[in-house]
Amino acid sequence: MKAFVIDLSVCNGCYACQIACKDEHVGNDWTPYAKPQPDTGHFWLGIKETVRGTVPKVMVTYVPMLCMHCADAPCMKACKPGAIYKREDGLVIIDPEKCTGCKLCMDVCPYDAIFMNSGLNIAQKCTGCAHLLDDGWEVPRCVDNCPTEALKFGEEKDLKKYIAKAEPITPDVKLKTRVYYLNTPKKWVSGTLYDPKEKEVIAGAKCTLTDLETREAIIDETNAWGDFWFRGLPDNRRFKLKIEKGKKTVTMDSICTDTDRNLGDIALK
Amino acid sequence: MASRKTKDKTVIRALGLGGLLGGSSEGLVDVKDGKIVRVRPFHYDWKYKKEDIKTWKMERNGKVFEQPWKSLPGPFSLAYKKRVYSPNRIKFPMKRVDWDPDGERNPQNRGKSKYVRITWDEATDILAKEIKRIHKAYGPYGILVQGDGHGECMTIHTPHGHSGSLLDKMGGFTQQVRNPDSWEGWYWGSKHVWGQGIQGGMFPAGNIVKDTTEHAEMVLFWGCDPETTPWGFTGQMPSRLTYFWKDAGIDQVYICPDVNYGCAVHADKWIPVLPNTDAALQLAIAYTWIKEGTYNKEYVKTHVVGFDKFKAYVMGEEEDDVPKTPEWASKKCGVPEWTIKALARQFARKVTSIAHYFGGGYVRGPFSHEPGRLEVCLLGMQGLGGPGRHHHQITYFGLPRSNGLSGTFFWNPDLADRLRTPSLTTINAWQKQLIPKTYIHDAIEANEPMTFYGSGAIEVDTTDQFKKYVYPLPKKEGGTEIHMIWSDTPCRTTCWNNGNATELALRNPKIECIVTQHPWMENDTLFSDIILPSNTHMEVGDIVSSIRGGTSIPNVALCDQAIEPVGESKSNFEVVLEVAKKLGMEKAMTGGKTDEDLKKEMFTNMRLDKLTTWKEFREKGYYLYSVADDWEDDSPGLRKFYDDPEKNPLPTPTGKLEFYSEALAKNFPHDRERPPVPKWIEKGPTHDERLSSERAKMFPLILMSNHGRWRVHAQADDIPWTREAPTCKIRGWDGYMYEPCWIHPSEALERGIKHGDIVKVFNERGIVLAGAYVTERIRPNVAYMDHGARVDMIKVGEIDRGGAINTISGSGTSSRNAVGQATTAYLVQVERLSMEEMDRWRREYPEAFEREYDPASGLCVNAWLEGGEK
Repeated sequence: MKAFVIDLSVCNGCYACQIACKDEHVGNDWTPYAKPQPDTGHFWLGIKETVRGTVPKVMVTYVPMLCMHCADAPCMKACKPGAIYKREDGLVIIDPEKCTGCKLCMDVCPYDAIFMNSGLNIAQKCTGCAHLLDDGWEVPRCVDNCPTEALKFGEEKDLKKYIAKAEPITPDVKLKTRVYYLNTPKKWVSGTLYDPKEKEVIAGAKCTLTDLETREAIIDETNAWGDFWFRGLPDNRRFKLKIEKGKKTVTMDSICTDTDRNLGDIALK
Repeated sequence: MASRKTKDKTVIRALGLGGLLGGSSEGLVDVKDGKIVRVRPFHYDWKYKKEDIKTWKMERNGKVFEQPWKSLPGPFSLAYKKRVYSPNRIKFPMKRVDWDPDGERNPQNRGKSKYVRITWDEATDILAKEIKRIHKAYGPYGILVQGDGHGECMTIHTPHGHSGSLLDKMGGFTQQVRNPDSWEGWYWGSKHVWGQGIQGGMFPAGNIVKDTTEHAEMVLFWGCDPETTPWGFTGQMPSRLTYFWKDAGIDQVYICPDVNYGCAVHADKWIPVLPNTDAALQLAIAYTWIKEGTYNKEYVKTHVVGFDKFKAYVMGEEEDDVPKTPEWASKKCGVPEWTIKALARQFARKVTSIAHYFGGGYVRGPFSHEPGRLEVCLLGMQGLGGPGRHHHQITYFGLPRSNGLSGTFFWNPDLADRLRTPSLTTINAWQKQLIPKTYIHDAIEANEPMTFYGSGAIEVDTTDQFKKYVYPLPKKEGGTEIHMIWSDTPCRTTCWNNGNATELALRNPKIECIVTQHPWMENDTLFSDIILPSNTHMEVGDIVSSIRGGTSIPNVALCDQAIEPVGESKSNFEVVLEVAKKLGMEKAMTGGKTDEDLKKEMFTNMRLDKLTTWKEFREKGYYLYSVADDWEDDSPGLRKFYDDPEKNPLPTPTGKLEFYSEALAKNFPHDRERPPVPKWIEKGPTHDERLSSERAKMFPLILMSNHGRWRVHAQADDIPWTREAPTCKIRGWDGYMYEPCWIHPSEALERGIKHGDIVKVFNERGIVLAGAYVTERIRPNVAYMDHGARVDMIKVGEIDRGGAINTISGSGTSSRNAVGQATTAYLVQVERLSMEEMDRWRREYPEAFEREYDPASGLCVNAWLEGGEK
């Protein structure tokens, strides 16, 4: 069974994968695999980019999203004319000649991976570049274009060491998806500690972040920039932060991880 | 399922857009039924076995970095197909409808009037006649050739300079000198500290990637975006390298006003400095080191001259001067005092290199030579050249040397003497009458001769900066004002200083004829009288060396023609040949050689005949260079100078790092903008663009301009697929795709601006429309727009809808005696554009709004054709 592995820790957001899909499918007719994709507006593979944090603690996360080629594909079940089928290698295909454009598949896909081609009145999505695989290619175009090997493709059994570390991607639904994500974004809390009198950052301060629900505490120490970083935090939890250095302490209550939190430059008086 | 035929043939292409002296970002192009089906990375093992090529690897902390076996092109290279088939392609020769070479020329209508189709025969007849007429009336220097700069990667059919080759054989021409357009501060500044260098950067810079990998503890990405600028030149090698450095435990600190695309994914620390205030930050670092005694005193004693004068300035020991404390700097550069001190201490404590690629905002603003010089001083204070202490143009220089290549500088073996003549115009000032590119608009409008110091040509000695030039030359030397322009470089309005002044200058009646050869109907092309359709690399065969640093495996390839030319277009070489034919100069241009002859000649010029045979090269279609056997022995960067400065002097007058430049003191004793010791320049006669300026009351934001993420300068603004990226274009409420202007949420709130609003970015020099991109990726006090969007004039010389931000950049050069461009870090205001104002413009300038427009790709050639495309 074919599978994708996407390592978000090395996705640099270059969009070469998104463009590969367009280069392969816009203006090219690969019937019976797929009819041409419209020039713009379809993202059979689309990058979702998120700017996280506030000045000066800001980063960008890029997530390539595509058809998950689910083992239990709900689109197949929903398709009345039976246009959606699974190949022996596990790739899920919408037969462009059987599709009637009823959009039922679009309604049931939790990943919004199916697009309506209104010109041709058919639903379209990622084919895993099956036409190329059948012509001897080893990987689809998006994977070939990826400069950092963030995207991988192959037999599920050959990708086991990655799949073992895979994490669910939003929305987390149990459909036995065949696109596996590594290093998915987790919330963080950060800030910079400084001495307002000396106008110096404070390194080596003990920072304790306590989950107000579980009372679990995580400890970090400010680095040479005066920065502390709590990474890998769960979503939508409330925390209390205590920072100590010598006899001085500062506490901050009710830090919510509904979003990534830059607590700014914090004065330790 | 029966498999489909997915291609008819495959050809190799250099997909980079750096152009000029060689290729990069190689790819494979699949063609089917005479059309491009796909463009994809080059897998080097196509015709070679991996074991036949010797490759390199580097290690640190158990992590390994190896040469990838495929090319790593950027996204616009991989979308090349859309450039070839762009609705903006010029398909046949055209003449401006109200330009009559035998009657009224109507120069005042340039940029406004439309065009009619003419035949190649008519076009070349007119052009030959005009050349002869100008030569007779004014002499050969009456024609300005704009034939330089970046572009597609070709050798024989190189996009620039062929017109110069022709006119050179007919008595010469006035040369637009191609000035630095990404390394101004190093060229006009750093060269006075460490000598000539390549483009002003550190030189030699061989083998520093390995040395930094093995020894550095921290790399400062100072105004550097390894995820943007390299794309146009060699692709994404720096991305892989920086991920590897992170794995290997090397700290990566980004010092820049924006969360640039490298900062977005690689930064361990972001220090958001105000645009063009790096000099203040650098001085405060020097202050901290001197105060705390944390610089390399031994090295300074033996490797530096003028440290006392530098120290006196930094510590405020001079009369009427202040100590450059972190507190002082914080007010200038907007970085908290405590973070400045932390940076200074980390820089002193850790083995540190500074990385750039080409300069973005950092070295391209007013007085850019000051941060350019000061960073060399900082590196010098910590033992520049020592293990892990280098100045990087990241991967562009410093990757392992290949077997058979003397360096990694575009060409094998040497640059200037092996070039085909057209490319000379890009690197040398090789004609007699010269105009720096930064002065073109001024030169056209000037009524008196202009003087300037330094031609600004890429490959000239530092001493050229002390040479006084005059335009026009005295009459007895053949001097004349220019009266005709022949351009294959029609991007001045969007890529250089004060585009609005350029637009107006191009309407000057002194300029009787403007001819442009270009594949796309864009920018300065819209101001032409005659337009000749040149074609893209896909439509012509060539031989291209991809050996620029950062290429995965250096190589030379035969790029066979992929598709037939679009419309009646011809290669830039062929375009000039057509004109040459009418002037009886065809043989003089080709030397009687066929295209295949020329390829063989280049094969020998590249000294490939020493490494392989033409037959094998022809069969395989490419040659791969192995890494040199002894590459690990290559001395990294300035190591020899570091080890023994007496035996290995720098190419400065004293042979040392000159923190005080006697040459500057002697040649420009009264220059307060580029004094002998690098300084903080608040303002000067040339620029008054800081937040402290009176002007900031009206224009309170500093406009920062970087190299485009989705373009290479003016190239590739028309790709529908990159334009879908949220940071590429923003759809306005009128359906137009606007160039984004980044502003911080706090600045947006103050102005009632919401993300996606149409805004006007303006100062005294004009108005540019943009789409508001409200983001935490830019610090407050700044408006950020990449340069190079195609101009789309609402009112010529005043209002631009295309987002060409350089139209409102200042006219002034880097400083009084430095003719670099200063096209970032100037004052603007940003306001939400009201529907009423837009409606007023619609009424006043209806033709600007009636032009055909395709939101997906933008501007269309049909908009400029009388009666649409016939």
